[in-house]
Amino acid sequence: MAAWPKEPRLIGTKVPRLDGLAKASGKAKYPSDVRPEGTLFGVVLYSPHANATVKSIDTAAAEKMPGVKGIVVIAGQGKKLRFQGDDIAIVAAETEEQARDAVRAIKVDYEVLPHCVTESQSMDEKAPQVFDGGNVRKARAIVKGKPEEALEKADVVVEGTYSLPVITHVCLEPHGLTAQAEGSSKITAWASTQAVTVVAGELAGSFNISPADVTVLTEVMGGGFGSKFGADIWGRTAAELSKKCGGRPVKVFLDRAQEHLAAGNRPSATGHVKLGASKDGKLVAMIAETYGTGGVRGGSNFPLPYVYDLKNSSRAHAEVSVNAGGARAMRAPGHPQGCAIMEAALDDLAAKLGMDPVEIRVKNLAEVDNVRGGRQGETINRTPMYEAQLKLGAELIGWRDKYKPRGENGKGVVKRGLGVALHQWGGGGAADKQVSCTINPDGSVEIKSATQDIGTGARTILAMITAEVLGLKPTDIKSNIGNSTFPPGQSSGGSTTTPSMSPPCLAAATQARAAFFNKIAPALSTDAETLSLKDGQVWVNGEPTMSWKDACRKLGMASISETGKFADGLSSVGVGGCQFAEVEVDTETGVVRVKKIVAIQDSGLIIDKLTWESQVYGGVIGGLNYGLFEERVMDPTTGVMLNPDMELYKLAGASDIPEIIVRAYETEEMKNRGVIGVGEPPTIATAAAIANAVANAIGVRVPDWPMSPRNVLNALASKEGKA
Amino acid sequence: MKAFDYAAPTSVADALKLMEPPHTAALSGGTDLINRMKDYVSSPERVVYLKDIDALESIESSSKGVSIGAGATLAALLEHGEIKKTYPSLWKAAYEVATPQIRNMATVGGNLLQRPRCWYYRAGNGLLALKDGKSLVREGDNRFHAIFMTDGDALFVNPSSLAVPLIALGAKATILGPKGERTVPVAELYRVPKGSQERELTVQHGEILTKVVVPATHAKNASYEARHKQAHDWPLALASVALEMDGQKVGSARVVLGAVAPVPLRSEAAEKAIEGKALNHESATAAGDAAVKDAKPLSMNAYKVQLTKVAVKRALLAAVGDRYWEEG
Repeated sequence: MAAWPKEPRLIGTKVPRLDGLAKASGKAKYPSDVRPEGTLFGVVLYSPHANATVKSIDTAAAEKMPGVKGIVVIAGQGKKLRFQGDDIAIVAAETEEQARDAVRAIKVDYEVLPHCVTESQSMDEKAPQVFDGGNVRKARAIVKGKPEEALEKADVVVEGTYSLPVITHVCLEPHGLTAQAEGSSKITAWASTQAVTVVAGELAGSFNISPADVTVLTEVMGGGFGSKFGADIWGRTAAELSKKCGGRPVKVFLDRAQEHLAAGNRPSATGHVKLGASKDGKLVAMIAETYGTGGVRGGSNFPLPYVYDLKNSSRAHAEVSVNAGGARAMRAPGHPQGCAIMEAALDDLAAKLGMDPVEIRVKNLAEVDNVRGGRQGETINRTPMYEAQLKLGAELIGWRDKYKPRGENGKGVVKRGLGVALHQWGGGGAADKQVSCTINPDGSVEIKSATQDIGTGARTILAMITAEVLGLKPTDIKSNIGNSTFPPGQSSGGSTTTPSMSPPCLAAATQARAAFFNKIAPALSTDAETLSLKDGQVWVNGEPTMSWKDACRKLGMASISETGKFADGLSSVGVGGCQFAEVEVDTETGVVRVKKIVAIQDSGLIIDKLTWESQVYGGVIGGLNYGLFEERVMDPTTGVMLNPDMELYKLAGASDIPEIIVRAYETEEMKNRGVIGVGEPPTIATAAAIANAVANAIGVRVPDWPMSPRNVLNALASKEGKA
Repeated sequence: MKAFDYAAPTSVADALKLMEPPHTAALSGGTDLINRMKDYVSSPERVVYLKDIDALESIESSSKGVSIGAGATLAALLEHGEIKKTYPSLWKAAYEVATPQIRNMATVGGNLLQRPRCWYYRAGNGLLALKDGKSLVREGDNRFHAIFMTDGDALFVNPSSLAVPLIALGAKATILGPKGERTVPVAELYRVPKGSQERELTVQHGEILTKVVVPATHAKNASYEARHKQAHDWPLALASVALEMDGQKVGSARVVLGAVAPVPLRSEAAEKAIEGKALNHESATAAGDAAVKDAKPLSMNAYKVQLTKVAVKRALLAAVGDRYWEEG
């Protein structure tokens, strides 16, 4: 059975993305760049109202507009429109401009209904109902131990309300696909997706054909972050329009405003928290009442308590519906919210106790926090991992020299502060995926799987594993992914792509090597057992004997093709991590500048150190945006989003990015666990660590994210009793 | 966007003729108008592109001051040695506009005559954003809106960063129209609209802003901008000062505020507070306090009062080389 090599040549090194140059130079064709001959352009008409019913819809004038080839109505007469951005119709025309003009010519008579677009509007007793059955669905509290009793006995208790706004994914490439129907029996789609298989299944379902008759292609893609699993109504309608338009390809990609309005978001989170501890800083109880909104879709719950050991806790969460776009999975769904609220309360408690924030964290890790080891049934205790990570992170941020208790950070107007936060995630693999590996007589090697590269480097990682086994270079491998007709591959969610795909890839390459040895051994007048591969050579009994290419010629006319399956012991699940932030806060302007982030992350065996680090950098930058800038702003009166753009929806630019130090926690013990995904965990703790650093700098908690001048100045003013 | 006629004249005379019909818009760097057209906030029937007119681009300095063509890009302004040396308030304000890419396209005239960035206006609710007689701004999310002159209906803020130092420096704008040329102080390019039909700009239909002339000066001058992001962002408050010194004391002062009122706002209270005083932390703080005496913030923007105070204080101290906030 295949095992990871003990002394790898490639695994664990830094290998640039195989498609990096093409992406950086603009040569790579993203799905939204693909324009098959005869492409029609689709544009979506969406609701301008937060809550309305379609009284009537008339497309007659639009159909007669120049260039218009087809219109599909999604929300016909009597249909409810529940948020600004809810889909009404899609027009396909010869040019995008013609389609946009035609969309404006569709006459819709709306019955505009009262709306609620913010949590406070929705929670008002007299609020209009988003859905029948009430706007607030409060779940029963999850109780562990006796929290009320324990809290009464606690030496110190802090109480606070913390809140995080709704943010959106802001994928640089918008959602969409170009679909081409062949009659009613076949569809080809070029889709910007993180799940070619799911998109194929959805398109097949809406045409009532077999998924085998659908080909979904995602050569590269420009970001999904959890929001691009399906074909969506836009993609399904593109396919329908293609069929309607005699098989001409129809391209439907959203514009930036629709991306914000309708393509998903991270729900908001507000938590009223009571946290108690004994004098020595050991947590005794937590009582938390929380709520959040996932718009019209729900899904605002998040893990709390988080990471730390609490013998007594009570947690009640309420789901608040509002007339705004529905939430979708977003990079580590729920965790950044839970982490921010937990870590803020814990830091406030440490400040009240006069305790060092690192010390209080170490003190409150569970004695045993087991996650999976290398093989089924093996376990590993995460607590010593966290302790080692905190030690390393504290050294790298300079905690011992720089940390000062709250309110003791200098006399000038600009205060420096340090903060820390811990996180955790799963990141395990699925056991039913496959990779095929083909060795051709011309020496070329091709691997195939119906997975895709959401940006984690999947293509490069699979090529590295194959090259490792076959003694070749990663650039020698044709790494074919992003095609739904290939052997079943993993959808890119939950940080599962690499741990799902690496084991079958290793198996496929190892099986192909064995078959290759069996085939060529006679030609080399030796036994297969004497053969090995290294540096592009076939070695016999430890001597380089023949080049790879020459050896492949010995295959004659027949290629070798093997399909590898998942095997236990090659990947695992369950990671921890910690991040430290150093910030400067101008106490006169409330402007926060992050100076440095230290991110320590474990994720088992790392295949490509370069793309691994990129994932952590990207996660940190995403978390920095959440900490400092992002916020979906809804207008209570008109019910629309006020910043559906990339201007007043704020995101970091180059000059907002601090020094970021990334370190893998990769001990031998970790390597033995096998591969674990890293896409999500490094984005969890950043916003929490930044907020803690801000509180440390200015001596007062800023309870509302983002750490904007407005929120920081308001917190400072309330400290001085000026609020 | 709505289809439109397009013309790209190479002389001012041709441009004036082309600008004559109603519903015509002048296009320069395109960083404002194009977005408004895409969002159907503005739908001109004709667009006259002014960037092919070389005569509008020049920046010339003489003993009388510096003349800046309306078509000069912000990048060109920043590269001009005399501007950086004599008018650091203008240089700094220009430097903090948007991004290098936008500064390569955006022009001085376009910066002065861009329309407000109020998100209610940009969402198609009209300049004053009144609905059923009520102000959407007053009732809604006004975190970026005015803190001065808020008794009226115009609650947007003037978006021009360059107008603020130009007014402090006493610059004049030259406007060419069918009836000939007129020259006005930069402050008079703006007004507070009285009703929904009035624009906030005084430039009339068919007129073209051709240049601004900044007089020669020995005044110590500086700008300070408070903003959320370091990269590409709008000022939350901006102050420019120009100080004629009388020995160690401030003889006469000009203090102008940006991003806090529907027009760039001269603060006579701040000027009075600093005139006759030596410039130090105490007097600068007092001038900052005086500047916001008449501020009446809306429901969500009281923090801008603090930012305005600090912007005035820091601009004053920066004018005499004290950048205390950078010392950490």
